[in-house]
Amino acid sequence: MARVRRPGTSWWVGAVGLVGLCVAAQVQPAYSQQSVSVRAALVKGSLPADDPTAAAWATAAVSEFPMSPQVHWPVRITDVTAKSVKVRGLHDGTTVAIMVEYTDPSEDPDDAAALEFMVGDTKAHFAHGQPMAQVEGGPVNIWYWKNKDGKGADLGAKGFGTLKPHGHQDVKAKGVYQGGVWKVVFSRTLNTEHVAEDTQFQPGQFASIAFAVWDGKKMETGQPKEKGSEKAISSWWYFRADAPPDYSPYMYALLAVALALGFELVLVRRLKKGS
Amino acid sequence: MGGVLVRPVILTVCIYLFLKFIVPNLPHSAPLPSSLIFLYLMLTTAGIVIFATLSGASKDAFFGPILRFLTGEGGGALSSARYLVLALFPLLVGWQTYGSTASSDAPPGENRTIHPAPPGEYTGLSNPVPKTLDNINYGKGLYASRCSPCHGNFDGKGFAAAGFTPPPANFKDPTTIAMLQESYLFWRIKKGGVGLPVEGMPWKTAMPRWELEMSDEDIWKVIMGEYDGAGQKPRTWDESE
Repeated sequence: MARVRRPGTSWWVGAVGLVGLCVAAQVQPAYSQQSVSVRAALVKGSLPADDPTAAAWATAAVSEFPMSPQVHWPVRITDVTAKSVKVRGLHDGTTVAIMVEYTDPSEDPDDAAALEFMVGDTKAHFAHGQPMAQVEGGPVNIWYWKNKDGKGADLGAKGFGTLKPHGHQDVKAKGVYQGGVWKVVFSRTLNTEHVAEDTQFQPGQFASIAFAVWDGKKMETGQPKEKGSEKAISSWWYFRADAPPDYSPYMYALLAVALALGFELVLVRRLKKGS
Repeated sequence: MGGVLVRPVILTVCIYLFLKFIVPNLPHSAPLPSSLIFLYLMLTTAGIVIFATLSGASKDAFFGPILRFLTGEGGGALSSARYLVLALFPLLVGWQTYGSTASSDAPPGENRTIHPAPPGEYTGLSNPVPKTLDNINYGKGLYASRCSPCHGNFDGKGFAAAGFTPPPANFKDPTTIAMLQESYLFWRIKKGGVGLPVEGMPWKTAMPRWELEMSDEDIWKVIMGEYDGAGQKPRTWDESE
């Protein structure tokens, strides 16, 4: 049986297909945000910076990060209590609050948690900003909380053994232990006057963040199970305080649609005149 | 009417399928980024247009169906298709504009060089330790106590590995120690994560600076134990030539 050919239809099907292929080649696969970054949404009204159990935290996107024993530097540890941390963030345009949640079988005075950030534009090694052999790395800013202190501490370091409190203490922290779970909220203004020592948050910009947790359970020796460099850690992940909504891309897209339509109309009209 | 366009379209589709599905499966190859595939398709399209416009006759044959389609001369099913294309084009332009102006939710890209070049003094060193069974086993013992918590049974799956990104190297993977010389491993073990150059950013590796805790001789023995345990052989100058 002879093939019936329908002239004039095969080519436009192909043309549409070609456009589709070009578009498909442009489409990027969805990127999993939850596993690599903490997103602090912009909220109106009061920030639950002093209340880890506030209902507002339930509305914050949660990210979970695996934790490892600190092995980079002696004294190291090979097994830790916290296997992962769940992290949420919120900000109100002035202050940012970050909540770290993790399981711990017992509440102990030496239980502690910390956040770590790079300072300024200079990259830093995740392990307390360890000096790099071939390139100058930067310092890190550490926000620290210990159960028995009941408050946050604002620290700085540039390598192990250099950790010290800043002369200014801008960080607040509050922890609540319920049902085998610690919820610790750290808060600070998005920006401070101490740009050489404190991390500064620009809404919409990604910053590096790392986590540390200590299980302060008393061992038979009388020492806490985890202390100092013996702790659960993560390496660098990302943190972003969301910028206020920006609707300008929708406006640009509408303008582009209008221009493309106008171009089509002129083109078709000219072609018709020409033919 | 449109027969002259069928072959270019088939050619473009074939090139797309080749780049998308066949190239990644070639030996020592990898999936191509979508932006590169797009670039190749654009180059193909440009080549087709140049070829089709080499003569006046071929130019008319190529552009004639397109012009008749755009002016709505075909009628029938073509008319519906015409409206579809005329509606899709502005939408595509709007979509691309939105995509290029909207702020991205993706974190910054990390163009980390996995195996950055070592400092000159660590290039081309040969293992000074005799390759004896005793030395290999001694190295494996050191590996078990120092390295296995992260690197596991030479597979990068140690019990302490979960929190580290990038994950500890899997020495059984042919793209790790099998493609490196012993001198390279000596540098990475001796200097650890803090020995990385700027292209090793963002410096997430937890690799300790073992020179603080192991002698050079012990590091060379660990390297022997690693290769033996992983069933790999170091790359040598002879093989790379």
